[in-house]
Amino acid sequence: MNATTIRVLYIDDEENNLHAFKASFRRQYEIYTALSADEGLKILENVAVQVIIADQKMPNITGVEFFKSIKNTFPDPTRILLTGYTDIEALADAINHGDIYRYITKPWNDLELHNSIKNAYDAYKAKIDLRNKVAELEKTNDELNRFIYSISHELRAPLVSTMGIVNLVKMEGLFNSSGEYWGLIETCSNRLDYYIQKTLQYYKNNKTVSEHTEIDFKKLVADLIELYAYTDKDTKFNVSIIQDEQFYGDAFRIEVILGNLISNAIKYQKETEPNKIVNISVEVQPTQVHISINDNGMGILNEHLEKIFLQFFKSKINHGSGLGLFIVKEALNKINGKITVSSNAIEGTTFKITIPNVK
Amino acid sequence: MLNKLRTVMLIDDNEVDLKINSKIITITNLFDKIILCHSGEEALNYLSRNKNEDDKIPDFILLDIQMPEMDGFEFLEIYKGLPKSITDKCVVAILSSTLDFGDIKRAEANPHVVRLFRKPLFPKELEEELKKHL
Repeated sequence: MNATTIRVLYIDDEENNLHAFKASFRRQYEIYTALSADEGLKILENVAVQVIIADQKMPNITGVEFFKSIKNTFPDPTRILLTGYTDIEALADAINHGDIYRYITKPWNDLELHNSIKNAYDAYKAKIDLRNKVAELEKTNDELNRFIYSISHELRAPLVSTMGIVNLVKMEGLFNSSGEYWGLIETCSNRLDYYIQKTLQYYKNNKTVSEHTEIDFKKLVADLIELYAYTDKDTKFNVSIIQDEQFYGDAFRIEVILGNLISNAIKYQKETEPNKIVNISVEVQPTQVHISINDNGMGILNEHLEKIFLQFFKSKINHGSGLGLFIVKEALNKINGKITVSSNAIEGTTFKITIPNVK
Repeated sequence: MLNKLRTVMLIDDNEVDLKINSKIITITNLFDKIILCHSGEEALNYLSRNKNEDDKIPDFILLDIQMPEMDGFEFLEIYKGLPKSITDKCVVAILSSTLDFGDIKRAEANPHVVRLFRKPLFPKELEEELKKHL
């Protein structure tokens, strides 16, 4: 293996020490020496040094002060402090402010210093490797997000055209002209559309930074009901909104959360129920908002209650994607919200949410 | 209803959607005349060419957002600088399959856009909106 030479900068105002250091280590390392902090800085500006050793006691500046001064300009090289006497204060200062990796007393022991330099280099390398890995991951993540996002758009446009054609077929009275085929196309298109929408919501939730805007719950809830109740005109909504306070929050995520819960409440009704009801109550307080969404639908089995927020969990009777409530939970996590659920087959399901008011 | 002839302009790069939407409008009889444009440029050319002929200016414009070269928002930027004889007459609504939160908010915030319709177009929604304006 071709081991890379480690570049070491040693700063000390005593020339003898520099010579001694060179004599001991020049075979192992690429050594740069400097008699003053200024000289050291010049070397740093021109050579990508990996380990810096500085003497604590120098005429114009201490080693710790020097390390402090290059904290932002040269954060990467690992620092070792050399000192002729045990100075507790300098030691504390070094640890607290100088970002110093090792503290070595003079006169140094060659083997100890050698090991320290080696370890310091490993620490340097680990830091750089980690940073590269993080950058690489961020890039991959970013690409993935963009890919998913554009795919969702490109997939959806022709799908929506298909749905438009089905509507046209209905308008022209041809829907039943080919047995159940048009109905099947409609069901499949709607399901695909639902998946695309949920996938988008999931990725947007992961990616987007929280942005706080003022939220008018009366308008938001009315809009969501209009949007989701479009397919089902039987359900009766009782909405009670108490908002005397201004509420600030992440509009996108709150819309996703309420949208999923409201659409679930509509979707999982009992088919036999003559009075389908969804009760929505919102109470805005100075520090948080309490929202409750209750329906008299089919309810959730007790043994499923634990699992409903898991990704891809579906029960046999329901025809969901297994993503809706998972997304609700993920979105709530991002904005420090909480959710509880209670449900049974007779009284239906109630979701209670609390979201902080970031006013 | 009204005895005046009503014209709609559809702006969409997608040939299939132009066909579907003009068919829906024909069946529902919501408009008497349909102008089809495959791009924002084509629509702007049509509008400036006919700016002095009131009967050729559409009453309603259904505008797609995602189009190559000039998208719906860029179209609106130029549109708002057109003569008042055009902008006062045309009511602009967006018709798009977008799910992008930013797109939706931008459409809602645009003073020239009365509404955002999601594809597929439901005639009932369109009819309700038309009642408010025409």
